[in-house]
Amino acid sequence: MIRGTIIGTVWATRQAAGLAGRKLVLVAARDAEGRASGRVVVAIDTLDAGAGDDVTVAFGSGARNVLAPGPDNRALLCDAAVAAIVEGAG
Amino acid sequence: MILGRVVGRVWAARQDARLGGAKLLIVRPHGVYEPALPTGHLVAVDDVDAGVGDDVIVALGRPARLAAAKSLGKSLGSSSGAPASDDFPVDAAILGVVDRVELDAAASARPGAAPGIARPLPAITDGARLAPGGRA
Repeated sequence: MIRGTIIGTVWATRQAAGLAGRKLVLVAARDAEGRASGRVVVAIDTLDAGAGDDVTVAFGSGARNVLAPGPDNRALLCDAAVAAIVEGAG
Repeated sequence: MILGRVVGRVWAARQDARLGGAKLLIVRPHGVYEPALPTGHLVAVDDVDAGVGDDVIVALGRPARLAAAKSLGKSLGSSSGAPASDDFPVDAAILGVVDRVELDAAASARPGAAPGIARPLPAITDGARLAPGGRA
């Protein structure tokens, strides 16, 4: 997973059927020290996170497990998902 | 997934049989992207009829193979439904054409965010397209 800040929302009317109109957020990734890494990812958001929220983003099977835990989720079109909204980090 | 802009198209003279009929587009990621290979671009299978100049959402890895299998399975004329997606030599697929990106000015200006992305995305011009042997 990575840590990042939600900086925006993305809309795409013409999309693959598997995306199913899910909410897509733009996340600016941070590096290990919490500084901007310059990397931006698009993640599926099921936690209703808002702009400015610090979040963790899971990739790969971890991202699919956010949407639907279990072995039957391999058909999901998801490679990045907001896994948690960060309240504090030490 | 990443956000990028379609800057060109690739046609292959010879290709893996499983790629038959695939529309391959060149995508320049917005923001900084860290691909495994040192290039500023990636080539993605197009599943949603995107065109040059479109901003798109690109999935990487397994979901990309899955999307490619769905669209290519049809064009390969498979009678038993889509072939096993893990067989497809694909690692990037365009899953959506972006209508709108709403950027939060305060959030994107914060330390730790991505200052570059807060600028308006540049319009595509002929000069921004990928020249043969060059970079966009």
